Amino acid sequence: MERTKAKLSDNLTGTPPQTVNRHLEERLATTKYAARTGSSQVVCENGVPLSTVPDSWKEERTRSLEDNEMSLPSLAAAYTTILRGLGEDPERQGLLKTPWRAATAMQYFTKGYQEKITDVLNDAIFDEDHDEMVIVKDIDMFSMCEHHLVPFIGKVHIGYLPNKRVLGLSKLARIVEIYSRRLQVQERLTKQIAVAITEALKPAGVGVVIEATAKEGGAY
Amino acid sequence: MQCQKATVQMNGLCNVKKVADLCSVNGFSEAALDKKKHNKPDEVTLSTMEEAYSTILRGLGENTERQGLKSTPGRAARAMQFFTKGYRETVQDVLNDAVFDEDHDEMVIVKDIEMFSLCEHHLVPFFGKVHIGYLPNQKIVGLSKLARVVEMYSRRLQVQERLTKQIAIAIVEALKPAGVAVIVEAEHMCMVMRGVQKKNSRTITSAMLGVFREDPKTREEFLSLIKS
Repeated sequence: MERTKAKLSDNLTGTPPQTVNRHLEERLATTKYAARTGSSQVVCENGVPLSTVPDSWKEERTRSLEDNEMSLPSLAAAYTTILRGLGEDPERQGLLKTPWRAATAMQYFTKGYQEKITDVLNDAIFDEDHDEMVIVKDIDMFSMCEHHLVPFIGKVHIGYLPNKRVLGLSKLARIVEIYSRRLQVQERLTKQIAVAITEALKPAGVGVVIEATAKEGGAY
Repeated sequence: MQCQKATVQMNGLCNVKKVADLCSVNGFSEAALDKKKHNKPDEVTLSTMEEAYSTILRGLGENTERQGLKSTPGRAARAMQFFTKGYRETVQDVLNDAVFDEDHDEMVIVKDIEMFSLCEHHLVPFFGKVHIGYLPNQKIVGLSKLARVVEMYSRRLQVQERLTKQIAIAIVEALKPAGVAVIVEAEHMCMVMRGVQKKNSRTITSAMLGVFREDPKTREEFLSLIKS
């Protein structure tokens, strides 16, 4: 674990990892986590300090329920524009409330931005003298491809080797839920889940496998 | 817009009129969009849709400047146009004159046709299989054309019930067969990914026209053949 720790801290001066959700940078710059990275900070193009992948699991919530309510009208208006752009008539019976339904659905599909890992994990880490592999498999995962805004769904299998600390089993599924309910790329999703468990438990090792398919039918 | 009126008319007919009326409406399946206007997606429309998608991304709390999301509005707009490309097709084009005279009067079934569509209520995909059977009356149709008809009607903002009926009516108008049966079995992501969140549930709808509706034995034959 010491070796892993050294490797992670080297990232501070390395190239910006592509896996971090950059929109968190502004938030992170104003929180206490920015101070932790020290003087040798990596900055991204707009001069905001870049957190490393290991810190990303502690990120602040970027959205609240109030934000949801406030952005709903503009989201609905955007969806109305899209319906018109496709040649449909937003006034017909089947489509009358669709912009609102679609906006609410999209907010639900990205509800991971409203949640924080620390909220989920803080109470469910236990000291246990177990040093055999713990596996939770076939966790259903539903996410949104950030490139095309199309759902991709699949299964996540998580295994870890505890090092004096174990995690409540349903919390693994909750971690999957928080990270998958975002605009994601499967590679980043896998890594974020693994890093979150690593940072929370400091286990001897973590393995995460995700198998997923996109549900759009055909290439375009 | 004329196209929108045609769409309203087309969808309105399905909701309101009885099956007998529908069968006698000529060109029901041709009440598609004015092809000349919508053959190629408008540049202006595309950029308007891109802006709308940018608004959506920002409204969700994301940063539209980050690398992964920079071209997403464009990609999402083009993806959505692909998912609704059925609006720009007509049954005439799709069938491509592949209707032949043949003295065959036994059931013809094409089953397990994959279908991907978009729920018109949440703009979320639903997908599954379509099974089509018809009893020819001197005319048969190229088999892949049945799959193309499915594709044309499913690549729209749809409701599963209407999709099933539109496929059935299109075949009736093209071939005037003795009967048509269409069964659509689909999983709705709007039910799986959100809302009630039931993963294994599937919705089945059917449209039975002509002898399939009147004669239980014919219907039974169709249902048992698609099970095997």
